[in-house]
Amino acid sequence: MSRFFSNKRLILLMLGVILLVALISYSLRDRDNVSFPEQIIKDTVGAGQSLFSGPAHFVTGIFDNVDSLLNTYKENQHLKGRLEEFAAVQAEVTDLRSENGQLKEIVGKEADLRDYNPIQSTVIARNPDQWEEKVILNKGETDGVKLNMAVMTAQGLIGKVSLVTDLTSTVELISTQNPNYRVSAMVIGGEEGVFGLIEGYDAERRELLLKRIDAEIELEVGQQVVSSGLGGIFPKGLVIGEITEITIDEFGLTKLAYVKPAADFTLLNHVMIADREMPETDGEDNGAAAEEEGS
Amino acid sequence: MIRYILPLIALVLFFLEPVFGLFSPLQLDGDYYYIVPRFLLMFLIFVTVYYDAKHAMFYGLFFGLLYDVFFIDIIGLYSFLYPMMCLIAGYIVKSVHRNLVVATFLTLVLTALFEFMLYLFFSFISMTSMPVNIFLTSRLLPTMIANSLFLVMLGWAFKSVIVARLIERENSKA
Repeated sequence: MSRFFSNKRLILLMLGVILLVALISYSLRDRDNVSFPEQIIKDTVGAGQSLFSGPAHFVTGIFDNVDSLLNTYKENQHLKGRLEEFAAVQAEVTDLRSENGQLKEIVGKEADLRDYNPIQSTVIARNPDQWEEKVILNKGETDGVKLNMAVMTAQGLIGKVSLVTDLTSTVELISTQNPNYRVSAMVIGGEEGVFGLIEGYDAERRELLLKRIDAEIELEVGQQVVSSGLGGIFPKGLVIGEITEITIDEFGLTKLAYVKPAADFTLLNHVMIADREMPETDGEDNGAAAEEEGS
Repeated sequence: MIRYILPLIALVLFFLEPVFGLFSPLQLDGDYYYIVPRFLLMFLIFVTVYYDAKHAMFYGLFFGLLYDVFFIDIIGLYSFLYPMMCLIAGYIVKSVHRNLVVATFLTLVLTALFEFMLYLFFSFISMTSMPVNIFLTSRLLPTMIANSLFLVMLGWAFKSVIVARLIERENSKA
């Protein structure tokens, strides 16, 4: 044993451990921007990773195609049934859209929290150890991606941008355990919008927690939850999910709803980053930006 | 050419890990199973066993650092654990007989240890709230099954490549 821990080795080991703890604590801080060497590494590795993820997406695409071919008959039956309903809804939507446009013109309201420019992007890697729910996209600052922007698939919201370099961006999925991860949301389907915060994720149920809903308000299972746009970063109206259960929160003052996410977090491929047209405020999408800066 | 084959394989495995990571978690009967590819770690332990520990630790440090910066943004975690696993493998391999079965077994044990240490770390910084029994059934077990399949298929290839490189090094010295 004494041979193993000779003096020189012991000192090296100690130095290593100290360096390690220092580095970990440095990188565990809430960082908004990445240091220059990290940027270079991220961009280089990202470029290499794109070479590998391209063929992989191609292969999974083939499997998806085969899968959908096998289900074609059943889907066709289902879709035929929905088609008539669709025509009616389509007519109603066009009617309501034009009416909405006219009304906006009358009021003189130009900008809308709903408007955003989508930035199309491809997932080049998913954190392979899967402890933190992160994916890496092939668009970065040069394409106009900024910190905290909303990221979604065709089905709904999946997360927000947590780090940006020139050519890549890291997305933290909403299924994260990070306690500082909030999205201001609202429940639609009732008389008027009910506001709350998506805060936390129940890993066992695989459902999001919608907190801070006024205890007076009646909610129903099956109502849809969308982003409210009031947090300052996300556009309004991005689909988040559907309510599956309503309870009282741990303090008994406000209601808590379990929300089943609309988007599927496995096998992510093409995603959209939402660049809101209305001016964005700094901070996270929790409506507490000014507060946090003040403190 | 064969001189650079070991770092080249390590690089390819490094890029392949997240590609296989895209398929996980697997959903079977409503339960989710996480499969974490650990190709690079297994290759590094093979390098330790058949080549030498110093090279393996150096590669481990380098790729661990890339992994930390690119994927998990906690610098120092993988860049510490990769070399440490190689170091442990280096000490064990001195006292056992070197053959493919022993190397495979040692690699799998160390991979399981690696997974468990990561679990402890992430529970410690409260990044996960997964109980131990869930961790064992939904993460460790599927991960180990998938990785042992990979190793059984490609272990002999790793071995022959590393041994070929070793022979070349001996020849160039002589």
